[in-house]
Amino acid sequence: MRDLVEYIAKSIVNAPDDVQVTEEEDEQGIILKLQVADDDKGRVIGKQGRIAEAMRTLIRVKAAKAGTRATLEIV
Amino acid sequence: MDQLNASREEIKVEILSAGKSGIFGVGTEKAVIQVERLSPMPELEEDAHNKKNVAEVAGEILETLLDLMDIDATTMPESLQTTNGEEQVTPPLAFNIQGEDLGILIGRRGQTLAALQYVVRLIINQQMKVWTPVVIDVEGYKQRRSESLQALAVRMAEQVRIKGEPFTLEPMPAYERRIIHLALTDHPDVITESTGEGDARKVVILPDQGSQS
Repeated sequence: MRDLVEYIAKSIVNAPDDVQVTEEEDEQGIILKLQVADDDKGRVIGKQGRIAEAMRTLIRVKAAKAGTRATLEIV
Repeated sequence: MDQLNASREEIKVEILSAGKSGIFGVGTEKAVIQVERLSPMPELEEDAHNKKNVAEVAGEILETLLDLMDIDATTMPESLQTTNGEEQVTPPLAFNIQGEDLGILIGRRGQTLAALQYVVRLIINQQMKVWTPVVIDVEGYKQRRSESLQALAVRMAEQVRIKGEPFTLEPMPAYERRIIHLALTDHPDVITESTGEGDARKVVILPDQGSQS
């Protein structure tokens, strides 16, 4: 799950080396935390959160295939 | 840039007033810029070459994404024909994804497919520094949807013409509303409008009061 977020994030920011994704799991499912350079925050969130929402949609597909749930937080 | 038909590298941009992009699109203010072309118009050949590269890169991005999403599918580049004789300056890059059980990739009202297309565009934009219109379809879903929307538009327009009352369609994403608007642009008896905000935005078909030229 991490690799998907990492690939997308690294591909759309200006500072790919500063992209960090951590993955935790609780009874709700997988929690992904995405961290990027301050200047890149807008690039992973997007206007009205559109980019973050698109990433969440794609993560949901992968989670559904794996029979779990996943949430994405941008920290 | 579109107006000059030039790429970012070929022009010099002078910012006269920076404007505000506003975080999350709130408080947006247009920037005033002066644009100058630096090099002559690119040769057509060069343009076609560039296009090919973008197509290759786009295909790779799409395949990588599908792979990372554990979707087992084949992507096929497609040549896209323009519908309705609408104006299309640059034909978009098009891909059709084929495989088993791809309903999951389409999502409710094509939501997942829209997200996939958006992410592919974003990545290409960042990597190639050009905004390339990329159209992604799954098992011809958009084509079928487009045909059924056009049929719906024509049917509802007929209802509006007979009853003389406006008819409001269900909420649709922008490109679906566009299909409805385009399907009825040349209709002699009705006009179309969009109302509502965001996800609730929908097309209203109204009887043409005759003032429209």
